[in-house]
Amino acid sequence: MTAAVAGAVDAVAAELRKVLTLPATLGALVVAVLGPVALAALTASQNPRGSAAEAALAAEPLVMVGAIVLGVVAVSSEYGGGRQIASTFAAMPRRPAVLAAKAAVVAVLVAAAAAAAFPAALLAARLVAGPGPDADGVLGRAVGGGVYAVLTALIALAITVFARSGVVPLVVLVANGSVVSVSFLLYQVTPLARYLPDLAGMRMVAGEDRLAIDDALAPVAGGLVMAAWTAALLAVAAVVLVRRDA
Amino acid sequence: MLTFDDVVKRRGAREVLSGVTFRAEPGRVTAFLGPNGAGKSSTLRILLGLDRPTSGRALVDGRPYLALRRPLGVIGSVLDGSGAHRSRSARQHLAWVARSNGIPRRRVGEVLEQVGLTDAARVRAGRLSLGMGQRLGLAAALLGKPRALVLDEPVNGLDPEGIRWIRRLLRSHAEAGGTVLLSSHLMTEVAELADDLVVIAAGQVVAAGPLDAVTAGHPTLEDAFFALTGGAS
Repeated sequence: MTAAVAGAVDAVAAELRKVLTLPATLGALVVAVLGPVALAALTASQNPRGSAAEAALAAEPLVMVGAIVLGVVAVSSEYGGGRQIASTFAAMPRRPAVLAAKAAVVAVLVAAAAAAAFPAALLAARLVAGPGPDADGVLGRAVGGGVYAVLTALIALAITVFARSGVVPLVVLVANGSVVSVSFLLYQVTPLARYLPDLAGMRMVAGEDRLAIDDALAPVAGGLVMAAWTAALLAVAAVVLVRRDA
Repeated sequence: MLTFDDVVKRRGAREVLSGVTFRAEPGRVTAFLGPNGAGKSSTLRILLGLDRPTSGRALVDGRPYLALRRPLGVIGSVLDGSGAHRSRSARQHLAWVARSNGIPRRRVGEVLEQVGLTDAARVRAGRLSLGMGQRLGLAAALLGKPRALVLDEPVNGLDPEGIRWIRRLLRSHAEAGGTVLLSSHLMTEVAELADDLVVIAAGQVVAAGPLDAVTAGHPTLEDAFFALTGGAS
């Protein structure tokens, strides 16, 4: 094993330990897994003739909320609650490697949560009201929802590097995903807004008939655009981390 | 050996460090002394690669900190308290630090014992007293059995028994051939401990050398300190 590989393994193992020993992580995983189950069951009970698959897909935004929290606290915990960042960089001076390790850990946890949440939510909806009518492309949209959640978590992680605090990124991202989407408002001004990360990736999850905009990017193309945004934001975050005093 | 070579640090228009040059030698305890705001913490943070110098360089055994792989086996440091997130226990904190540098897990129990925190291993860092937090920070510094120890204001918050304990620990580390660099703004607490003194005032080293050479011509270390740093005695 070369030194660089050994360093990457050390960093990922250390960051995994850190994330798993934060109480906020447990809360975020509970929201991401049990939240969709409860919401899908509720939706199915309100609309017993509806599609269980659509009820489960409609509960995906709660996975997103958990994903945002995971991405934010992986970084904000370094700056709040004791300024652990000095310990982190004293132990692992290669800052881009630390960021990459955090991103890998968050991505794996969010993917695992999404993979558990969707089947569980589907099962819950079926148990409450039976399967109901089929929905279009259920598996693809469920996987797309997982990809969307992972990318959203990584965007949250990068933005928290800029902010060095969790409050602003949490409020902005959760509000943008649930209350009012800034990208959607911008779309009213210019159709170019459909290339912004949250709108670009939307068709990965939502059926064509359920989108608020007409000319949304196709699922794969939109997913690639969103992934490009994510990669760019992480790259800028790495540069900021290296140049900034800890 | 820790080497500082003409280190300059500017923050905006303010020059925090103006050409800091000194060495901390193996086998000796070097006390880095100066009033609050003189630049002690900035100097140590630059040594540890946490802050970037505007110019000049700080080296650990001839290498910049950022070039060290698994640095904790070479140099251990304590800055500003425990360095642990408040919701993690002492044991959880030390476990990730150890893992990050490939240090065997058993070292966690050993350093907890060494700093007297075995009974508090499961207590969250946010619930530790100031003195116990210092001990946790020191435990993390000792994990990799480093040759060099760097401590920023290590006796802050320690009770008299704790101060005596840390003096013995640092003294024995130096006697075993290790390098110890500690900063302080209190002369009395380093007088009995230090072999070498480096005195800094307003970002400049105003005196450096063996304790008796720096204090020569002054009745006490305290008098020497005020004379050198330009403070009123």
